[in-house]
Amino acid sequence: MIQTENRTAVIREKIENIYKYLHRHKEYINRLNVFPVPDGDTGLNMTLTIQGALANMQNYEKESISTGEYLKNFAEQMLLNSRGCSGVILSLYCQGIAQVIENNDFSNDNLLKAFENGYKNAYEGTEDPKEGTMLTLMREFKDKYGEIMKEEDDPSVIIKKCIPHLKEVLKKTPDMLLVLKQAGVVDSGGAGFLIILQGINRELKLNGIAVGSLPVSIILNINRATKKYLNGKFANFTKNSIEALLPNIDIAQVHNLRLHNIFEDVKHFINNLQRNGNNFLNKKAIINDLEDMKNSWNPEIKLKYCTEFILETNKISSKEQIKEIIGGYGDSLIILNSGDKYKVHIHTDKPESVFKDVSKYGELIFTKVDDMKKQHKNLISNDTIDYEREKSVFCLVSGKGFADILKNLGADDVFCYGKNKPSVERIVKELNRLKTKNIIVAADDKDILMALKYAASLSKSNVHIVESNNVISLISMVMNISKELDITTTLESVMNSLNDIRFCGIARAVRDTTTENGKKVNKKDFFTIYNGKIILSDKNLATLIINTIKKLVKDESLISIYKGIPAKKDQNLNLIPKLKKSFPDYEFEEYYGGQYQYNYYITFE
Amino acid sequence: MDKKILIITGDNLGLSKEQIDYPDVEILKYPVVVDGKEYRESNEYTAQWLNEKFLKEKVVAKTASIIKGELVEIVEKNKDKYDLIIHVVMSSVMSAATFAIANSVKEMYKNTIPIINIDSRQVMAGVGNVLLGVIDIIKKNNNMDDIVKLSQEVVQNTFSYFVMADLNYLYRGGRIGKAKALMGSVLHIIPILGLMGDDKEGQFVPLGKKRTFKQVNSQIIKLIKAKMAEKPATLIKRLNIVGFGDNKDAFSDLEEKLKTIPCNDFIIGKADFAAAVHCGPKSYTVSMTI
Repeated sequence: MIQTENRTAVIREKIENIYKYLHRHKEYINRLNVFPVPDGDTGLNMTLTIQGALANMQNYEKESISTGEYLKNFAEQMLLNSRGCSGVILSLYCQGIAQVIENNDFSNDNLLKAFENGYKNAYEGTEDPKEGTMLTLMREFKDKYGEIMKEEDDPSVIIKKCIPHLKEVLKKTPDMLLVLKQAGVVDSGGAGFLIILQGINRELKLNGIAVGSLPVSIILNINRATKKYLNGKFANFTKNSIEALLPNIDIAQVHNLRLHNIFEDVKHFINNLQRNGNNFLNKKAIINDLEDMKNSWNPEIKLKYCTEFILETNKISSKEQIKEIIGGYGDSLIILNSGDKYKVHIHTDKPESVFKDVSKYGELIFTKVDDMKKQHKNLISNDTIDYEREKSVFCLVSGKGFADILKNLGADDVFCYGKNKPSVERIVKELNRLKTKNIIVAADDKDILMALKYAASLSKSNVHIVESNNVISLISMVMNISKELDITTTLESVMNSLNDIRFCGIARAVRDTTTENGKKVNKKDFFTIYNGKIILSDKNLATLIINTIKKLVKDESLISIYKGIPAKKDQNLNLIPKLKKSFPDYEFEEYYGGQYQYNYYITFE
Repeated sequence: MDKKILIITGDNLGLSKEQIDYPDVEILKYPVVVDGKEYRESNEYTAQWLNEKFLKEKVVAKTASIIKGELVEIVEKNKDKYDLIIHVVMSSVMSAATFAIANSVKEMYKNTIPIINIDSRQVMAGVGNVLLGVIDIIKKNNNMDDIVKLSQEVVQNTFSYFVMADLNYLYRGGRIGKAKALMGSVLHIIPILGLMGDDKEGQFVPLGKKRTFKQVNSQIIKLIKAKMAEKPATLIKRLNIVGFGDNKDAFSDLEEKLKTIPCNDFIIGKADFAAAVHCGPKSYTVSMTI
């Protein structure tokens, strides 16, 4: 018998391998995503669901639990970490299976019961179940399993034998769901489900299959080019032009079913043209077909936000109650229940209202809002981004020293733009480079804000701008970030902490000016700027800094000096020992900030 | 009939023996290895002694699990005098070996005397809080099933907050867990770590980072109040605050701030020799049970 830790390690390894197999096909699945909304994230959502569950399983691996119990805990973690429609339905399916095999009985009869219960749980948990989705494949799988089970004892062989049938069912999904047919794809969730089964099959030392597809943008470009070809100046085909077009398209390699059929029609059309000289035969029908296909990838997205949350509550006792509270806000409602936690998925235009209403009944321990319009725009664009991360805290800073400080403090990504403020185009490029669904972004200069707002509208991610205007507030922001928090809570925490650290800047006057009290500041004098006003000035830098600290320090204990590029000339200033002598009750720290405008930033904490 | 119950625990519990209001307690001493030589806590070898060694001699220290023979000796000595033994063990996540030893001794004596091993899921003051919580239980109830169930509630409602000025000590001991994210900062930061009784993983979790001890203390108060609101609880059953004596201002500041929160039993505990290995100088901790 395998020891507990070994056994759980073996199960984990197998699940990890299945996850990796699914992850390798993530992009393929994303590109099939047209239902319920073409937002291109089915593959990502399914992988994130399994990834999240794996990340939370460490504790169970040390306990003396059976395989059935381990899988039950895994299914529960899937529920709590599920993402998007596909992730939620997959979690429901696994929960149903786990409820049966929790007893550690892996006999064929019990497995069939588990698959039946998985399907039932997923079907009943889906608000408006549709045929032609992964639910269909789940049903067909349990039916086929039951059928083959009569002749075969080995579950791994039965699963292997189910796969060809499920491939056929997947191929037929466009006949069951019109929007799939119009877009020329099979169902993305169904494809993901099949890939998971293939992953299981591989883990049972059996064979998998390879899948491939073109990005949606290329399919739409081919669509556009074909239409232009039929409609445009090449409409009056000559034999040569036809010959030039066709050899470049290997129809067998076009996996998009509708485009494949359209090419077949184009081929027949050309053959007819060559034989009969009739260039109008079927042309209109093909163009209509192309138009129809294009439209299916560009539906009107009525509800913008894919919204999810986990509510921990003892005031709600059924899914129906949650449906009553928020059902009116949108569609695609899926509610999962595990103990006193409810995981909810809904498409809505009012995520904030949804959160507000449900939070009256308990604590929201996770929230997520995805802009489906933006994701759809990304899916069909020529430079589609395959999101690799759920969220990122991104800082734009001028000084290299500050860039290092922020990165080490916990900012996920930092762009050091140097002396010249970045253009909109550059910011868009940086935002897209992150390949992240949700980005919290803040810059160290208020002059960047306008460009940042415009760049956010052009980027392919959900961008949440923090309206900061100095680098010290970025430090304050990053100090308060917790990686464990969801995007909404992170944003809230960031906004509340922006002004936590008092600071001033020390710079050198480039022209004559005056302090807030009217005292003259000569060109080349040093001055202190605090809360946007010049409060002190002096010819001597050390004297100015000492006077500044005297004036500004309150009940703080730590004073930090961040040196900028202009302070490079002040090497012999010996500042910190002087300050320690003048202020023995305070601690001083000195860092390189690398800012261009100010010789020093001084913070009081 | 009243059961005679013996309690066994280790000496990293943030309490002196005098602070444990129960007569039948045996405390095992964790071995501490400093530069290759083994020590046990004594009047001479204390947390303060080790922290001075860290600062002045840059010594390397590590802890080991309890010695099975010593646990067996305690059980053997007491098996005929008691009806039940309860062993309150430090977190099994932090020392799987210690918990495994406790379980193997339980198995050895299964036909002789019942032993309940309670995984406190805590270290330092947190173990002390669980221990005192278990004592509260057995003073009122000696049914084994009830003791196990109620002790589990104490474990799940015990939360510890650690201020560790230098995480390298924890890192070297291999117990950094998720708090590793707080290491390697260019800017000098003071991390706040937690061991949350309701966290299934049972590892140290990063709860925040601040630049000064005052900020850290204010943040701990916020975290405690947030945890009370979450549970919900208006009164803390027990608070145990432990420092190593080398960061008096910060410790007093936290003590004053904690006194503003309603609490039934406010304890200023004892710094453990073994705990000093993982905390390093200027550290302090507070554990609460609600």
